[in-house]
Amino acid sequence: MKKIPVWIDTDCGVDDAMALLLAFRLPELEIVGLSAVAGNVTLENTFRNTRDIAALAGRKDIPVYKGADRPWIVEPRRAEYVHGADGLGGAEIAHSDAPEAEGHAWDALYQCAKKYPGELQVVAVGPLTDVANAVIKYPDLPQYVKGIHIMGGVAAGPGNTNMTAEFNIMGDPHAAACVFKSGIPVTMAGLDVTLKAHLNKEEVEAIASTDNKVCKLISQATRNTLALYKQLGLGEIMCMHDSCPILNLAHPEFFSGKEAGVHVETTGVETLGKTVCDLYSDGKHGVKNTTVLLDCDREAIVKLVSEIYTTYEA
Amino acid sequence: MSIKKRPVILDGDPGHDDAIAWVLAASMPEFDIKAITTVAGNQTLAKVTYNARRIAALLHLDVEVAKGRAVPLMSDLIIAPNFHGESGLDGPKLPEPEHPESSLSAIEMMAKVLQESEEKVTIIATGPQTNVGALLLTHPELKEKIEVISTMGGGIRNGNWTPAAEFNILVDPEASYLEYHSGVPVQMCGLDVTEQAIVYPEDWERIRALNNPVAKTVAEWFDFFFIHLSELGWKGATLHDPCAVLSLIHPEIFDIRDYYVTTELSGLYTRGETVADVYGITGNKPNCKAVVGLDRQKFVDYLVEACAKFEGWEVNL
Repeated sequence: MKKIPVWIDTDCGVDDAMALLLAFRLPELEIVGLSAVAGNVTLENTFRNTRDIAALAGRKDIPVYKGADRPWIVEPRRAEYVHGADGLGGAEIAHSDAPEAEGHAWDALYQCAKKYPGELQVVAVGPLTDVANAVIKYPDLPQYVKGIHIMGGVAAGPGNTNMTAEFNIMGDPHAAACVFKSGIPVTMAGLDVTLKAHLNKEEVEAIASTDNKVCKLISQATRNTLALYKQLGLGEIMCMHDSCPILNLAHPEFFSGKEAGVHVETTGVETLGKTVCDLYSDGKHGVKNTTVLLDCDREAIVKLVSEIYTTYEA
Repeated sequence: MSIKKRPVILDGDPGHDDAIAWVLAASMPEFDIKAITTVAGNQTLAKVTYNARRIAALLHLDVEVAKGRAVPLMSDLIIAPNFHGESGLDGPKLPEPEHPESSLSAIEMMAKVLQESEEKVTIIATGPQTNVGALLLTHPELKEKIEVISTMGGGIRNGNWTPAAEFNILVDPEASYLEYHSGVPVQMCGLDVTEQAIVYPEDWERIRALNNPVAKTVAEWFDFFFIHLSELGWKGATLHDPCAVLSLIHPEIFDIRDYYVTTELSGLYTRGETVADVYGITGNKPNCKAVVGLDRQKFVDYLVEACAKFEGWEVNL
């Protein structure tokens, strides 16, 4: 079986870390490059976390590039109340001693895309600043990148950051608008599906109580997560937001979605950062630039992710 | 025991679903219809005003029809002839108006009704919210005389005219915004509920079979209204405006939530969207009863029941 070459751009926080730890062990995927962007926490922290997580999984061989330290236009917005000041909920983790990769994330992403022309799948689970920078700098990027798979936005439902916008898109709405207009097909795992792709309390505890280095990290990093979701009125669950686009690449049979036109609102007062999706309206945008994931097989996801985390080396 | 009647003003841009909403309102012993006011929307002001007067004649409503604003507060007018035809109410023949048009404007008429009423007055606004917005701006002293503004407009989940905005609100977003920020209670029937208020052809055959002149007219309005809706892929007629009437009298068949709601006035893609604070992110107090669901079968049954009340009705065509 030929592996799918995948680049992952992340603002490594807690659920990003869990997504990376899955990505490294999905036999369908070959992670060929990583980049860090400012988002959940500062670039300094997301860069360090991405490197440390790769090292924890025994993948110091994958280069980690530093991306944008701030969004294009809006003021930076952090989620330290979710991910802790360090981005990993204060979990203990050894720092990577891998040599630091040289160069900007967007340049490295473009070079990588040229190595896998028409094949490279780009996963972006933070604000879309780095991907948008690659889009604006390299007009021929669309001919090399097969698809962009984001965790971000919401097609139908409330936002989690303002009344209509999801956090990653709100993190850099202008960059997101650029990515959706890039001509590269976008697969959007927004809150529509990521709220459904959750672990319940028992499932989190089963993972957290397993004695290996990865489960130990998850146990420490997710200490506050269940309480936080409960506080939001969503129950004692933990959403696997950032894992969705990665799992969808390896196991598209776990997900279902629809083709739609999506544009990002960049001038609205109440709706800045909304992914305006035409799925449910008579009026259409006139493009179908996005596959919007809407549903998932939660049981299958839980089974697979539990197996991957609990079978990491001690 | 006689039913205590609540005074209401019907404000709309008829329009097939406005017309059916008004049939429903006229059939309700709970309502005392004080005035009808019109607003440009589904068709131009002259056309919808003529339609309103013909509907009043059909329903033998002994009230004046006052013409409202011809254009939104500050935007250019959008109309919807693809849904409602050239007249704005194409389909069955209607009686000619029985009363002359009021000499008052819609704003003056609304103000007069509010001033003269001892009780608070309910305004049922099923078109663009232009007249109500203008009333709130120019008669702030009468706000407390308004019991509730029951509006068909907007949508929390999605739009229809654009992906984010519903037609009535898109036509005049500022007027809608003024309502939500007026302090007057607003009950919102947006697409969240009205796209579930689907009446299927077999449902309106029940109405046609009642065989009274109003029921037959209603069935023929459905026939026409459904033409364009079926082209868009709908399996029945989405009965938007009647929700704004029925949710006042039979709230028990609706799912109604208290939300903070406001109207997006900017936005490349979202102008005219009604935005609701479902998760309580803003900290703002709820200002709206948002109707988001209903028992469809009961809705249809009430509609049929309303049309049955015109048994033996005489209409001069």
